[in-house]
Amino acid sequence: MPHIEEIITEPKLSVKRFYALEYFFILLESLTRTADRDAVFNSFLNLKQEYRLGESKFKKMSDEPEELTPGRESRYRYTFKQVIEESKQYGLISEQDDGALFRLEAGDSLLKQYGTPDYHRTLFKLMERDSNAFRYLIERMFAKSGLLIFPVYSPYQLGFERRNIRTTGDIERYAEKLSKQITSDVDKYLGTTIELGSETTEVIERLRTANLLSKNAKDQFQQTDYNSIVSRIRKFWLIYFLQNLYGYKLSLSSFDMWIYRGKQCGVIQATEFYPNFNGRIVYPTSVVVERTESADFSQLIAYKDGKNLYLHEPTELDEKNQDKFIKYLVEGYHSLRRTRRGYFVNLASLRELVCFNLKVSEHVFERMLNQAYKHNLAGELPIKISLEVDRLPEETGAEYLKRVPVLVDGKPRNIISIDEKGTRVDE
Amino acid sequence: MSKLSRKPTAAFNDAPARFARFGLLENPFPSEPTVNKDSQDPRINGEIYEIELRQNEFERVRANFLRADLAQPNHLRLGYIIDTSYIGRGNGKSAFLVNLQDAINRHNNLDISEEQTKCFALYVVPESGGRTKTFASLLNKIFDSMLRLGIIEESLATIRLNAARSLHTGDGTAFSADDDVLIENLRSEQWYTDHEINLSEVRDAVRSNPALQELPPDFPLFREFARGGLYAEFVTQDDFERYFKSLKNGRDRFEFVLSHMVRFFRAADFTGAFILVDDFERIPDFQSRRQRKDFALELRSALFDGPTLNARLGFYNMFLVLHAGVPPLISDAWSESGMENRSPLLQQADRHVIPFEKLNPKHAKLLLKKYLGEYREKGAAFDELAPFTEAAIKEIGVVSEFNAAKILKLAYGLLEHAADEGSDEITETAVSDYREKDPLVNERIEATIASAETVDLFKKATGTE
Repeated sequence: MPHIEEIITEPKLSVKRFYALEYFFILLESLTRTADRDAVFNSFLNLKQEYRLGESKFKKMSDEPEELTPGRESRYRYTFKQVIEESKQYGLISEQDDGALFRLEAGDSLLKQYGTPDYHRTLFKLMERDSNAFRYLIERMFAKSGLLIFPVYSPYQLGFERRNIRTTGDIERYAEKLSKQITSDVDKYLGTTIELGSETTEVIERLRTANLLSKNAKDQFQQTDYNSIVSRIRKFWLIYFLQNLYGYKLSLSSFDMWIYRGKQCGVIQATEFYPNFNGRIVYPTSVVVERTESADFSQLIAYKDGKNLYLHEPTELDEKNQDKFIKYLVEGYHSLRRTRRGYFVNLASLRELVCFNLKVSEHVFERMLNQAYKHNLAGELPIKISLEVDRLPEETGAEYLKRVPVLVDGKPRNIISIDEKGTRVDE
Repeated sequence: MSKLSRKPTAAFNDAPARFARFGLLENPFPSEPTVNKDSQDPRINGEIYEIELRQNEFERVRANFLRADLAQPNHLRLGYIIDTSYIGRGNGKSAFLVNLQDAINRHNNLDISEEQTKCFALYVVPESGGRTKTFASLLNKIFDSMLRLGIIEESLATIRLNAARSLHTGDGTAFSADDDVLIENLRSEQWYTDHEINLSEVRDAVRSNPALQELPPDFPLFREFARGGLYAEFVTQDDFERYFKSLKNGRDRFEFVLSHMVRFFRAADFTGAFILVDDFERIPDFQSRRQRKDFALELRSALFDGPTLNARLGFYNMFLVLHAGVPPLISDAWSESGMENRSPLLQQADRHVIPFEKLNPKHAKLLLKKYLGEYREKGAAFDELAPFTEAAIKEIGVVSEFNAAKILKLAYGLLEHAADEGSDEITETAVSDYREKDPLVNERIEATIASAETVDLFKKATGTE
């Protein structure tokens, strides 16, 4: 592993509490019509609905208007305020003493960029200039083999039936099995050996302190506390990974905000849906170095100490890049097909594999797939790719759009089949 | 020595009867199960067809379209054959259409409608790769398919025949030949002379056919009446083709196909036509949002409420074959253009929607039985499914996701394999053994982050890769 120098500028890791960078857009857009704060808030709410932005890191599935309960309204006002604060910080807007809001020149120009890659680039620069947070996150990732894993296993996934988990002892058994599983995952994926004896005792101890479990292993716990117990255990381990194992000095929620903002900018990839892995993985799709000769990187920002952050975006027009893309696409397709007997596999799962292989963002994947698909239609590829639409996420009952569909030719696709030429089964 | 007199040394051998052990003349299954309507091979031109597989779908088409009263302007003019499973490709839609077309054209729908209506059916496939993007280019394909079907020639003959019959005083034997011969006869001057029918009177009668009165004077049929109908050559389908090509793409051709040809066909006693559009997704797949909307508007105008005779009468009735992914693609265009009101896409329960179901295990068996039966040696004492066992067929269905094309292709491979191996029976185990050899199934790569080959960004950036 290359030696990572100490960062000169201390990162500012606190972050305003919202994930979606589109919030800046909807605030700026709302200011087009009015400066009156209440009217801006109303427009902000409407646009938030229209662009399906929620409080989660996932987009909402529906743009149906929802009832504005007092609880909701106060949450939305909080988000609204957070977006205003951060926009002021970046000089996008200004606020008068009476609360009236105005867009500044930087805000005008960002608004114009919405819908193009420049929008995220500009925001990336604004965020990073102010905080150095992405550099901090990315450099630590490279210090740790370039991959962060956050395993999550519910009792069910470890072979415990919900109805058999009744007593403190049952929870202890789950916690022990979980520790073993985590130890083995860390060994398998990070190549590190860890001892988790004291942590396992600690997690149970904390639950006892919170009066969720008793001292006696045979005592039943309040069954209504089940979800809360399981969620505290999960959180305990996530924080353990973040702060102890990886040595990050920020809270879990701030980390979440940063990495999902980084994901939108394409500099970090984070996913909870990597095939055959339980939990979340995070890895950089950009790098902080002094300079690079490779044409596959583009500079996003220069730091004061002479280093630069380069985004990894292999151009889809380079033949070598294309070959590599096809190779991983085909390999990934075959490995996903193993688990299902069908010819079609989930395109979003395949995207996970290929992004990890190539260390590229989902935007880059989409671009390369579009390019490959075009070549495929022209018959210039050694393989044939069929892309189809299964049920769209909107057509299912789900509430959140957890995996953004892949757009090919401007249309969402979610299943893919690949045939090596000559063996194609077609109609 | 001349090569003419030289002989090969190897003796003539009968082709080894590779499939005789199964009581089969050859491998009944297509190696590439695609429907090519123009092929001579019954395995792939849609000729071998198990009607029972698609009985439900056919019944729905028959009840709601083929037996409908086409004289009523409010009959259904547009139907959707919608695939309900996303493994759509190879589900037998093309085979269904080809057979539907044959069923209609066999007796011009007179048998199906119990003599109520006389119709023909056209089979149209948009070109791939975005070459059929506009309604105008679809219209060109429709006219092409009229030429391919020979329906213009047939109509010319009918018009002449009606005229000749009305003038002829003989016993009618002159008209008793087969259709093909009759078509030839009716455009041969000699034949008229032989049967003492006055050709120029026939032409006069054609000319005064009431259905033809509103056609423009340059309509191709009227060339036959030049110079008072004397010595003029018979107009053929080729004249129509040339005329069509001379028209500008767009309004002129719309008018020709959607108004003038409708009058012409009606003069030949046709009351309607069915246009079966296969692989419809090839059109919207390449269209922009704007193009989709324009297409939908023109389709609506052509079928329902445009200024053409067709829109008034509903002469052409269209079926669009849609796989499961298409309705979401076009639904916006359909609602913006008002098509959704005319012929809603999303009302699965409506009469104009024909859901194309996935096959089931019973169907898989019927399908294989049909193909095997076509190539079974006469008098061979074999079970009708031999060499496949029932269990094997079930397994074939499952692993092929009950997709007709995949079932046939797998059956082809299995039979070839069994012939190579000299085995007499294809069992369930044989199916899974064979599939083990399939490179796609046989891959044993586990997709995990641990084993994934990845790019080391740091090394790549610093050139130390």
